[in-house]
Amino acid sequence: MRGYRIGKGVTPVYKAVDTCAAEFEAETPYFYSCYDRENEAVRSGRDKVIILGSGPNRIGQGIEFDYCCVHAVMTSREMGYEAIMVNCNPETVSTDYNISDRLYFEPLTLEDVLNLVENEQPRGVIVQFGGQTPLKIAEGLEQAGVPILGTPQDAIDLAEDRGRFGEVLRKLEIAHPPYGTARSRDEALKIAARIGYPLLVRPSYVLGGRAMEIVYNREDLDRYIQDAVQASHEHPILLDKFLEDAMEIDVDAVCDGEQVYIGAVMQHIEEAGVHSGDSACVIPAYSVPEELLQQVKQHTQDLALELGVIGLINIQYAIKDDEVFVLEANPRGSRTVPYVSKSTGVPLAKVATRVILGEKLSSMDLPSEPAHPHFTVKEAVLPFSRLPGADTTLGPEMKSTGEVMGIATSFPAAFAKAQGAAGQTLPTSGTMFMSICDADKTQAVELGKRLRDLGFRIVATSGTAEALEEAGVPADPVRKFTEGKPHVVDMILVGKIDGVINTPRGRGARADGYEIRRATLRTGIPCITTMAGAEAAVSAIEAMGEPGIQTHNLQELHGNHTRSS
Amino acid sequence: MPRRTDIEKIMLIGSGPIVIGQACEFDYSGTQACQVLLEEGFEVVLVNSNPATIMTDPAFATRTYVEPLDVPTVSAIIERERPDALLPTLGGQTALNLATELKEAGVLDRYEVQLIGADYDAIQRAEERELFRDAIDRIGLRVPRSDLAKSVKEACQKLEKLTLPIIIRPSFTLGGHGGGVAHDLDSFCSIVEDGVSASPIGQVLLEESVMGWQEFELEVMRDRADNVVIVCSIENIDPMGVHTGDSITVAPAQTLTDVQYQRLRDASLDIIREIGVETGGSNIQFAVNPDTEEIVVIEMNPRVSRSSALASKATGFPIAKIAARLAVGYTLDEIPNDITRKTPACFEPTIDYVVVKTPRWAFEKFPRVDAVLTTHMKSVGENMAVGRTFKEAFMKSMRSRELDVEMDDAAGTEEMLAAISTPSAERYDLIFELLRRGTDVADIEAATSINPWFLGEFEQIIAREQRLRGRQLADYD
Repeated sequence: MRGYRIGKGVTPVYKAVDTCAAEFEAETPYFYSCYDRENEAVRSGRDKVIILGSGPNRIGQGIEFDYCCVHAVMTSREMGYEAIMVNCNPETVSTDYNISDRLYFEPLTLEDVLNLVENEQPRGVIVQFGGQTPLKIAEGLEQAGVPILGTPQDAIDLAEDRGRFGEVLRKLEIAHPPYGTARSRDEALKIAARIGYPLLVRPSYVLGGRAMEIVYNREDLDRYIQDAVQASHEHPILLDKFLEDAMEIDVDAVCDGEQVYIGAVMQHIEEAGVHSGDSACVIPAYSVPEELLQQVKQHTQDLALELGVIGLINIQYAIKDDEVFVLEANPRGSRTVPYVSKSTGVPLAKVATRVILGEKLSSMDLPSEPAHPHFTVKEAVLPFSRLPGADTTLGPEMKSTGEVMGIATSFPAAFAKAQGAAGQTLPTSGTMFMSICDADKTQAVELGKRLRDLGFRIVATSGTAEALEEAGVPADPVRKFTEGKPHVVDMILVGKIDGVINTPRGRGARADGYEIRRATLRTGIPCITTMAGAEAAVSAIEAMGEPGIQTHNLQELHGNHTRSS
Repeated sequence: MPRRTDIEKIMLIGSGPIVIGQACEFDYSGTQACQVLLEEGFEVVLVNSNPATIMTDPAFATRTYVEPLDVPTVSAIIERERPDALLPTLGGQTALNLATELKEAGVLDRYEVQLIGADYDAIQRAEERELFRDAIDRIGLRVPRSDLAKSVKEACQKLEKLTLPIIIRPSFTLGGHGGGVAHDLDSFCSIVEDGVSASPIGQVLLEESVMGWQEFELEVMRDRADNVVIVCSIENIDPMGVHTGDSITVAPAQTLTDVQYQRLRDASLDIIREIGVETGGSNIQFAVNPDTEEIVVIEMNPRVSRSSALASKATGFPIAKIAARLAVGYTLDEIPNDITRKTPACFEPTIDYVVVKTPRWAFEKFPRVDAVLTTHMKSVGENMAVGRTFKEAFMKSMRSRELDVEMDDAAGTEEMLAAISTPSAERYDLIFELLRRGTDVADIEAATSINPWFLGEFEQIIAREQRLRGRQLADYD
């Protein structure tokens, strides 16, 4: 079709957005396509690169990718290239026509992009900064003969194709949770029998964990397959052994084909199973044993080189029983790149752009190990209060729209700041409600003691209250919502509760906590749904007792390093 | 009037995390403002808790604080940095609210920090409903009939003077958060209750419904010499009742007569002067009754907004950048237009193309959430497309959505006609399907109150589609 159209001489031209309906000559090149006569976007003689943006914001693909694109544009310009930006999102900095040498305000479909590539004849196209949007069309671009700069298409496929990626891991002797790929219900059940429950199930090729779920038994799996087949058409379903209670680690790194630069190792505060985009995380990874940390770094280096990454790579790991497992590797800019850059002072997207355009890491004078004079905590911000009726439990499906960062000289103080910035200021006194699943009761007793020491009154569901009382922690029992009035939901609604720690497990319990979470949302009190989150919160409340507010600016934290690069 | 020399250090507040109703448009506006102020030789102290923004890159400010946006923290930063001025109009509602709180807590007076861009009184007049209504009355315009309530009981008493349907809007919230439209007494009570708790001051506005009226927005800028320009007009294809952030919008307005447009223009000039936004940009929203042509003023944002980001991209006129220059003393005639570099910013932009913006929702992520669109914004992003005609821009915008959910088009015609009477994310896909099935434009208009001009354009798109359907390329040789 495309060939036919071009054969007939039907090609678009580009018109400038010039504020004055062509009455005066425009100097800022900002273009849109149309099928008309005069082409106002006349190609310059300069060496150019095209950077593809991330399109409309959505959950799983937001401002972080715009940040990376803008850095890629600024760096390409610094290196002497004509940087051409393509995006269709009017809210972003990348579509500010002052940022790039040329801006094409166009849909990010293969056809629209091929048209403007033809008009510009660039040295190549950079697809790794705009999230899934440019990656979706990268293959088509390559097939049409457009050079992809940075990590080649085959390396992307190598990381995304389960079979091929499994081979890479085997070769490098890196562990991963057992998995399988099912194209039918029977196949899925067979795989489940082989690797056992709980399972993390999802359709192939999605960003932001859409339609991803943890299933605990065959019934759950059956129900999921019925829903998921709809969500994923004829694409297969991926099944992974879910490592319950594992600690999750995220790494952002840059590879130039010879060397790997590790931007940061981030430790998630929530356990595995909460989507990495929804989990709070901390730099440095303060409670990972040094030996495992070294292993994570070594794996990152081996994987980036083996996959053939040129540019950014993000790898997610899980640590369970002192063993490191690779969960996934994404050879592209990730949503944590800006957070890492601000935490360490090394602008990773800029470093990656230099690498993509041919520079070597060894020539860049990067700090060998980013210094961490401070702790930075990134916390996700969730949209539940604006979507009435939403279930607020976190899971493998990403739900957050934004993020905040807290900086402090200790982890608990940074966590407290991040919570405050996310609009969930932790209480320093009052009444705490606890409803803890059986597996977490030992830990709950310890937290209960600390809360009592801080002067909190504790109310709890009968089972939790009993466990606390048995261990000598005074706790007043209160009825669950399903046990009838007067119940905890009413107490929350009338303001008698200042904070909630509620850790559901399994599908039934999760549904049970729905009313509690809705009530906390309505009253705006913090509702913590994981034990790891509760542990961090209690430490943070302890830290909040210290007087005075310490503020830090990035210039004093990172010196001039960030400004020069 | 040249740049002010009595201030050297300016604090800028960002909009914090991306939330529904406040997205990266404020990274765009804040980044522009930071760049301009640095260029002008000011020291810039930036506070924003969101690390994913470009503006918090250390190169965009003299001092960058990634810290919580609350009174205690920002007070500590003010105490440490001692800025001369605070510019609160580029960080959305978050920055405007925080500036108000800092003023009310006495922090700005204690450290002698001046509010620039919009002063405290102007912010109050634009944001406090009663003050706003009085201001609009004074210039001979009107807002929808309304009253305030602080409880369900009080609201029910006020109901005697108002008739359902009624729009409930909580005071001082983002994206209409916590509000809604009530058609009966039950929903009225429950929405009022939610609204009272969502409002930081526990107050809701009960408002005459102008649902079905056409909605227009004008982007206006004023300088301290009282020059005013209209940057752009924007028309919401979805009539009143859908939040503008959830509406498909078009720039410039397509269905106004010149007389109607001039009336909105004149009204906008009067409003920005009466509210007293001394320098900078404002977004003013109007509802126009399609039958009587009566105009009511819906609201005014005395700051840059999502719509101003759209207007900037739609026209090439950088509102945030110019607002920052105006805030430090320049006048519109002194600021060059950076596209032409020949004309000053007091030349109103002219556009010879059409721009369409389409929202992007995420309902597939939240299965229990009610996917009906109301006055309470639910979209998480948007795209914009430019074309020579409305049809071209609209179709480009549709394909920019990158939807990964397919519509179920097996529904019956009657069912679909009923479905489009309630605004939803699928509304336009349903309208197109109905047109494919030969449904009369008048029936669609009756169900949706969408202006028939737009429906006529859609009908032409479908007519062309149907002429092509089933043909082979060879048929054209």
